[in-house]
Amino acid sequence: MTNNRYKILVIEDEENLAAVLSTLLEGAGYQPIRAGTCALALTLYASHRPDLALLDLGLPDADGMRFLREVRRENRTPVIVLSARSNERDKVEALDAGANDYVTKPFSSAELLARIRSALRTFGPQEGRKPGAKFVLGDLSIDYEARRVCIRSQDVRLTQTEYNIVAFLSEHCGKMMTYSAIAKGVWGYFDEGCVKRLQVNMANIRRKFGVRLGENRYIANELGVGYRMNGERDE
Amino acid sequence: MRKLHSAVRGALCTAGIFALAVLLCVLLQRLNVPEHITTVIVFAVFLISLLTDGYVFGVVSALLGALAVNYAFTYPYFALDFLTPVNLISAGVLLTIAVLTGTLTTKLKRQEAARAEAEAERTRANLLRAVSHDLRTPLTTIYSASSTLLDRRDTLPPARQEEILRGIREDAEWLTRMVENLLSITRIDSGAVQILKAPTVLDELIDSVMTKFAKRYPGQAVRVEIPEEIVVIPMDATLIEQVLINLLENAVLHAAGMTELCLRVRVQGGKAVFEVADNGCGIPEEQLSALFSGLAPGAGAADGRRRSAGIGLSVCATIVRAHGGAIRAENRREGGAVFRFALQTEGEMDAEV
Repeated sequence: MTNNRYKILVIEDEENLAAVLSTLLEGAGYQPIRAGTCALALTLYASHRPDLALLDLGLPDADGMRFLREVRRENRTPVIVLSARSNERDKVEALDAGANDYVTKPFSSAELLARIRSALRTFGPQEGRKPGAKFVLGDLSIDYEARRVCIRSQDVRLTQTEYNIVAFLSEHCGKMMTYSAIAKGVWGYFDEGCVKRLQVNMANIRRKFGVRLGENRYIANELGVGYRMNGERDE
Repeated sequence: MRKLHSAVRGALCTAGIFALAVLLCVLLQRLNVPEHITTVIVFAVFLISLLTDGYVFGVVSALLGALAVNYAFTYPYFALDFLTPVNLISAGVLLTIAVLTGTLTTKLKRQEAARAEAEAERTRANLLRAVSHDLRTPLTTIYSASSTLLDRRDTLPPARQEEILRGIREDAEWLTRMVENLLSITRIDSGAVQILKAPTVLDELIDSVMTKFAKRYPGQAVRVEIPEEIVVIPMDATLIEQVLINLLENAVLHAAGMTELCLRVRVQGGKAVFEVADNGCGIPEEQLSALFSGLAPGAGAADGRRRSAGIGLSVCATIVRAHGGAIRAENRREGGAVFRFALQTEGEMDAEV
């Protein structure tokens, strides 16, 4: 039976793209449910309770943001936004409204599937930090109790702020966090200067982690939007 | 801000030239050749009118000049005399020179601005023409390839089918890049040349550039050299990212025989100098001048298929210009080409924040 497959709600009004996405998802072993309007998406969401939603922001009957806000009122179902590059502000707005991630159109099938896997894996019911918990991502590990970060069992000497940022991102692993979300999580507020401070810290963290520029290990850098702790190795 | 800057510059220029002229006059008087004093003052007024904006400084220096000549350098010495016809005439001549020179230079400057405007308009038109032409080629491929697949799928061997599908993907990727470039241009060209600059840490910019570039050209290694210290540069990061990706991509597509591609940034006197250098075939001298205009003759000859170099590069030029800089290309002595532009830095920041 197909009942144990992950259900993915595909909210996209462009018929051709919706068809391709459905085929792609089916081929990858998911069960796609198609919705071409915001109203239909909300109905289908209520009746099917999907495990994840792919959301195009430009829908014919309403802004895709409405779907996101409605869902986020009570649910933490992962939502991945399909966005066009020109709208950086839209991306940030969607992420701040609770979207987990976004992929920029046009995207490759491999890229989309990787994000879906990552979102499903890290957004199970087990989110949240248990006492004495450790975070492990490949050869990177974080001991929250001791506030220690290790790479290949080697201690990485981070400053307070650097540690707080890494810990914050790891707690939301797999989710794209906007500059403002990180700043609020780390410093408690967000203003103009925060982006620069954050970027300076991230540059230092990357150097201390021994990650080359463009290598994209551990933490993905979406310039102008935010950062994401990778939820999946070798992405 | 700009007006104030121009006024300060004008005032300094006027004071400097005038002081020099008076010094020279005093010298001439000491040497007992006072007949050239008026000439020196006339020349000074002319220079000031030429080098400053508008009429104000020219007219002021003409009046000052007339007073100085009248007071110090003509009989009766160290007294003002407005009745001697010679003094009145020299005052008149000085004023006329100041006003005429001011009028002429203002007119010239206006003409220059108009010419620059026309030049920009022409670049835009060239770009549009090139773009529409360039869009058609990949669209044709995609259209005919997908039609072929739909109509004759059963008769085509799998290898052929795969080849056609790959062609479709390649051209779609190319169209994507073209659209990205066009979007960047519209972001700048919509009316006022106004971009939103935000302080950006160099590491983060280069990291993002390298990630995106590696996604497109996984096989192409790039040597990255950036300063040890943290450098902050105010910029529209999306646009500058586009410039660097375009330059790297340009090298991949057009630098035939390239074995090393290098992205270098160094800080020099408050400026971050960006360099993309390859050791490929270089750029023919006759193309260097038209490289950024959007209509590089024979651009794309290196691979015989793509003519997109002109557009990518003119997008670079537009973006860098909007940041108040200029982009240059030259051939390296050791072979290959280098593209270079500079942006103002914000100054270095403490590593510990």
